[in-house]
Amino acid sequence: MAGLNRRDFLKALGIGSGASVMSACRMDDNRYYTPIEQVLPYVVKPEQVTPGTPTFFATTLGTGPNAHTVLARHRDGRVVNVGANTRSPMASIVPTDALFELQRHFSPDRYAKPVSKDGAELEWDAARGQLVEGLKAARAGGKKIAWLGPYASGSLANLLKDVTADNALHWEPLGYEADALAAEKVFGRRVLPAYDLSKAKYIVSFGADFLSGWGGWELSNQYASAKNPNDGGFVARFALVSPYQDQSGVNADDWYGCKPGTAAQVALAIAKLVAAKKGYTGPATRLVAAGDPASAAAASGLDAGDIDAIAAQIAARDSVVLPGGAAGASTAATELAMATFLINVVSGMAGKTFGLGRAYEGAIASYGDVKSLVDAMNNGEVGAVLLGDTNPAYALPADSGFAEALGKVPFVASFNSQPDETTALANLVLPVADVFEDWGDEELHSGLRLLRQPAQSPLYDALSLGDVLLAAARDAGLQPVAPVAAATAGTEGTEGSDGAAIQVDGLAWNVEGAEGTEGTEGDAPAALGPVGFTPATYRDYVKATWQHSSGKGASFDLWFQERLADGFVATETSIGGAQVSPGAPVIAGAAAIEGAGEYFLHAYPHPFRKDGRFANQPWAQETPDPMTGQVWDSWVCVHPDTAKRLGIARNDLLELTTAAGSIKVGVDFYQGTRKDTFAIAFGQGHIANGRYANNVGANVVSLLSAKVDGFGAIAWQQAKVAFKKVGTADLVTTVGSDTDHHRQMAPVTDHEALAKVGDSESHHPGELTGIHHLGLDPRLAERGAVDFYDIPDHPTYRWGMSVDINACTGCGACAVACYAENNLPVVGKAKVRDGREMGWIRVNRYWGYTDGSGPVETRFLPMMCQQCAHAPCESVCPVLATYHTIDGLNAMIYNRCVGTRYCANNCPYIVRRFNYHSYVWPEPFNLQLNPDVMARTMGVMEKCTFCVQRLRNTKSAYRDQGVEVVPEEALTHVTACAEACPTDAITFGNLIDAESGVTKLAKSGRAYQVFAELNTFSAVHYLAKATFHPQDSHHGADSGEHHEPEAHGDEHGDAAHAPEAEGAHHEEPAHDAAH
Amino acid sequence: MDDKYREANRPATYAAANRDIIRPLLTPTVMWVAAFVLATAAMVYGGYCWYLQITWGMGVAGIKHPTFWGVYIVTFVFWVGIGHAGTLISAILYLVRSRWRTGVYRASEAMTIFAVMTALLFPALHLGRVWQMYWFFPYPNQRELWMNFKSPLMWDVFAISTYFTISSVFFYVGLVPDMAIVRDHSTGLVKRIYNILALGWRGTNKQWHSYMAAYGFFAAFAAPLVLSVHSVVSWDFAMSNTAGWHSTLFPPYFVAGAIFSGCAMVITLLMPMSYLFKWHDYVNTWHYESLAKMCLLTSGILTYSYFMEYFIAWYSQNPYEQYIFYWRTVGEQWWIFATMVVCNCIIPLVWYKKAWRQNHVILFVVSIFVNIGMWFERLNIVASSTSRSFDPSTWDLYWPTVVEWGILLGSAGWFSFWFLLFAKTLPGVAITEIKEMVEPPVKGSLEG
Repeated sequence: MAGLNRRDFLKALGIGSGASVMSACRMDDNRYYTPIEQVLPYVVKPEQVTPGTPTFFATTLGTGPNAHTVLARHRDGRVVNVGANTRSPMASIVPTDALFELQRHFSPDRYAKPVSKDGAELEWDAARGQLVEGLKAARAGGKKIAWLGPYASGSLANLLKDVTADNALHWEPLGYEADALAAEKVFGRRVLPAYDLSKAKYIVSFGADFLSGWGGWELSNQYASAKNPNDGGFVARFALVSPYQDQSGVNADDWYGCKPGTAAQVALAIAKLVAAKKGYTGPATRLVAAGDPASAAAASGLDAGDIDAIAAQIAARDSVVLPGGAAGASTAATELAMATFLINVVSGMAGKTFGLGRAYEGAIASYGDVKSLVDAMNNGEVGAVLLGDTNPAYALPADSGFAEALGKVPFVASFNSQPDETTALANLVLPVADVFEDWGDEELHSGLRLLRQPAQSPLYDALSLGDVLLAAARDAGLQPVAPVAAATAGTEGTEGSDGAAIQVDGLAWNVEGAEGTEGTEGDAPAALGPVGFTPATYRDYVKATWQHSSGKGASFDLWFQERLADGFVATETSIGGAQVSPGAPVIAGAAAIEGAGEYFLHAYPHPFRKDGRFANQPWAQETPDPMTGQVWDSWVCVHPDTAKRLGIARNDLLELTTAAGSIKVGVDFYQGTRKDTFAIAFGQGHIANGRYANNVGANVVSLLSAKVDGFGAIAWQQAKVAFKKVGTADLVTTVGSDTDHHRQMAPVTDHEALAKVGDSESHHPGELTGIHHLGLDPRLAERGAVDFYDIPDHPTYRWGMSVDINACTGCGACAVACYAENNLPVVGKAKVRDGREMGWIRVNRYWGYTDGSGPVETRFLPMMCQQCAHAPCESVCPVLATYHTIDGLNAMIYNRCVGTRYCANNCPYIVRRFNYHSYVWPEPFNLQLNPDVMARTMGVMEKCTFCVQRLRNTKSAYRDQGVEVVPEEALTHVTACAEACPTDAITFGNLIDAESGVTKLAKSGRAYQVFAELNTFSAVHYLAKATFHPQDSHHGADSGEHHEPEAHGDEHGDAAHAPEAEGAHHEEPAHDAAH
Repeated sequence: MDDKYREANRPATYAAANRDIIRPLLTPTVMWVAAFVLATAAMVYGGYCWYLQITWGMGVAGIKHPTFWGVYIVTFVFWVGIGHAGTLISAILYLVRSRWRTGVYRASEAMTIFAVMTALLFPALHLGRVWQMYWFFPYPNQRELWMNFKSPLMWDVFAISTYFTISSVFFYVGLVPDMAIVRDHSTGLVKRIYNILALGWRGTNKQWHSYMAAYGFFAAFAAPLVLSVHSVVSWDFAMSNTAGWHSTLFPPYFVAGAIFSGCAMVITLLMPMSYLFKWHDYVNTWHYESLAKMCLLTSGILTYSYFMEYFIAWYSQNPYEQYIFYWRTVGEQWWIFATMVVCNCIIPLVWYKKAWRQNHVILFVVSIFVNIGMWFERLNIVASSTSRSFDPSTWDLYWPTVVEWGILLGSAGWFSFWFLLFAKTLPGVAITEIKEMVEPPVKGSLEG
């Protein structure tokens, strides 16, 4: 302080204190304005709602035999996601259908209120009044009241039967009618057969799309277990006999592309051969004698040797033969199903891999029944038609006359939560509660019964279908009757113990949670009402049905609570034996194909959009088609050789014409199509289905006419098609290349070598694939270093994943589940074309390489962030927005990201996604957003972090219990993708834990890491696919100097981007190389 | 030969030098105004495009999965490259006493600074969230946020800001004596402004002594930057693991390319300037030819590098690398590669013929081709490697959108804006250094 005099000191003091006071004043004014938000706590907190904590409800999504039990994740008044129901005896998976149902639930196109024909919104009282009037008028006129809806069973089927006096038709356009009819003819019972693939060593499908939901998602899981090399030491072989490889068929080890319409003859021939090889002499002998291998070979275009080989395989080992599904539905549809049943019988597999229970006995209507209904409508016999969640006006060919006939019915009411082409024809639309809002039960092929309970209160002014029907029936003088004794009005007294019940429009909505089983139900014996009692609500109706069938007396309520918490009722689900009925007709199996010319039309169910029911779900449109990567459109699949011969290029717009009509679709090449076949998926070309489906693609049904086979099943494969090039289409595909260019991304291993060792730990991961990590520099090895840089320390966890591409069927459930869990925006067709799709998991599809003796195999490779230990992305971020966590994740700090996109350029797996725009979720899609995951805005990079929010929750939950390290079993399916995967191909876990499944799989002989040579030390280990076919001897990755292999896949794949391939790239430089 | 040219072109007197070089200053011609309006319009259009991008997101650009970098990085590297010739000419050629630099170094230095100023726009232009750009800088903050010094982008920030600072200072130091001359030849407000800019220069022996020391110091300081800056820029690519980028060849290859494009740009800019301002005595065939020779040398290095890339790809047996170079040559965008080779390797060969490298029309036309070729070279590097990166299933093609072209145009407008201002406000040729080549005036002369 020397040199500072008193005056200067005071000056400094004054200035200093003045400045501090002034700055303090400025601090006080609120420069950083924070909006004041009033967060009001519950005054009375609902029992199961803790803000910020999810509640899980076991419930059932989907209807009919394809239904699946899931856990609905309820958060703050809404369902935000669906998870696997691990308690159920079904596979604990989340199929794509369940996720699409979730998005359908929040569709902005849902009806908010009842709507009359002129489009006016009605109140429920008025709407119910109209419904009652309609029913009364029909009854007064002595006319029928008919119901047409999707497959139903249990309570709903009973109720509908009563309401319509047996005029309820449960029919779906791409359903199981041929199977049910065939079972009736062959076994004398109109039921759905059940299959058990897990026990089969040889699986033959005649076209049924069993890996995307046909026959229930259970089959996907069984397929994977049959393919599991640890299961019996043999990898099941899958053969497809169909003109087109759909998403299931593309996984086939052997593809026998028979001519459309000839599958039944082939099946019958196989049955005959199998019977001969097995020495079968049972009651089916008479039936299989009609098989004629020589003429079947001639008709189908298959080699007689192939037919014999299939029969030999079937005879040699445990096998299962699946029917044709929609792909086999020619005018010999039922005959095909009968023939496949016969193969299963003569091969001795009935009761083992194939059998009959009592599933859907009599409840599966055929198109013949629908035709009768149309005739009745035309004849004026029908006074009222009640339509369920079904869309015949879209799904049926125009010449079925359905729409015209419906116009002749005085009163048409549609019970549907979503608009479609059929609701547009209804006098009255009653928006009923959807599967997340209603009570119910469903029955599967196997006979397992699933229960449905509301997982949230209705999003809009919707009522339960059952409630509406009960009330209307009562008012109209109909008396639907619960099976036997029902809970009486006294039920009200037990409401309290059911959990918190909220009153919606006078009806009780139970919001009971999965954990609610500790209720005090047991002490409240349910009163037994008089026989013939009609419950007031559908909930009571369902309960009454179960009270009857369960045979529980006083303990019913507690029992039912527990079953609701489980989501299913364990019943006898074993496969029953199948006795061939003596009166079974002898069949020939030849189908009629209409039209002239060379090219057949093949229509197949789309793996996502199915018969069109999910077309309005953006996830079902934007998730790339497993085979072609196409999004938001229809396309016709043409074999590349055919295209070359006809001078058709990819993305050409073709006008396809049959006798029934014509449509315009773009071309994509697909080698899984017979060379004389044009294949188009069902499900697009809607005109009144909602904003995401309308005018997207074309409806293949426009090319078809209403045909039935000899037994009454609908025939879809019926015509030949003429084509004319009329311009250029606007197809968008996400497939950048059809092969991995020998980059060993999806290598294969020989099935015999694999069968010997399975997934057992090997000294040298990769010894079955030949892919090893680069040898270490000896100097590094001396130091004990694996790399120039040290691997980051992971003291407790190193999150890792293993993906079994032998099990992966490319169904896309992981990708869709990721959209649902992580708030991924849907960007639409134009932005996908621009390369701005946001999927964190993409399922790469590569055609394999063969030496020409076998088929071109398909390899699916789900590719998500590999969470590298030496992550190329981390070192290049200038602001440290991405970093390595102590648990081994490459974490992303979204709000630190400035958007240089260097990380994405440097990622060899190209798994990072950039927010090119800020995306919006139209209401009410926003209600589905996961509150645990931050929404990203434009300019920010994002990517998979192994569902870090779930990992944190799991860790916290165990820490709260005082458990420091999360046990293995709580981790294996913690990520959304692993939880969803129908084939259990994805295993999650802790790589530090030497005993964890993921660690063991990482040491398997078929384990490999993609691009291991880049020293990324990724946390994802893939397990190679097992192949039955010799591979192309060309090893090592390609380059300019190498010739591309001659396999079909490369003709397909590289025709458009290998520059030396003639023609293609000049005409359409940006099509398949570009999205 | 150089001496011959020097003799032939030496201006007669100090007075002539003063008069000729100061003449164009502050006297806008119709052509200048037209050019200036055009440049400003292009700049404004570029700004509008940027506004669109900030409003709607990077999606208005053509970048996509998996090509996350596009025209912005291409143009960034292009302008940084342009910025190399100036310092090379003014600093390195000064240190090696290459006499032909005298006539051209001022304008090329100005070009350098404006090119770096243009290049500096691009790190901002290509950011997803440009409003957070300050996170690039090491400023103390309570959140304890810091940058990642491992990231080549961070090195870029420092390399380029250093380069910009040093070359600006060096430029200004060299300008001081000329500012004094302009001051002495002007009146009124203009005189007062240049008086301030001249920093009190009077031309005393002491001032000249300090000046020469400072100039030498900065020249020595700037010289290594010529090599380092573009090396650092090349590391944006070379340090990544992307095939086609990950190569130790990149630093020398980029530096050579930078000098190549910079020298060509000097020809492109100075030749019209010399004609319009009638500076044939100061900037003429001698200089152009010398620049052309620089270009020939660096073109040779580039051609060698292009060849070596292929050799390395083949010799390494790295399949990804091999595919990239195969695809660049014959893939869908082969013509980008072809443009690059034709403009950078083949067309400059005409300069091997002496008559042609002295022909102003050929010089000018070829220099334009080199500029185009060098832009395409960067496009070839940036877009192709990511379009055909490791996982074939992600392959896609990149092509810029209208917005990106607009911003490219805007960047040219921005550069031209500053260069045009420079041409009318600062002496485009170093008067004092020109005078070193002139017989000193007799003592007592009226002029001086």
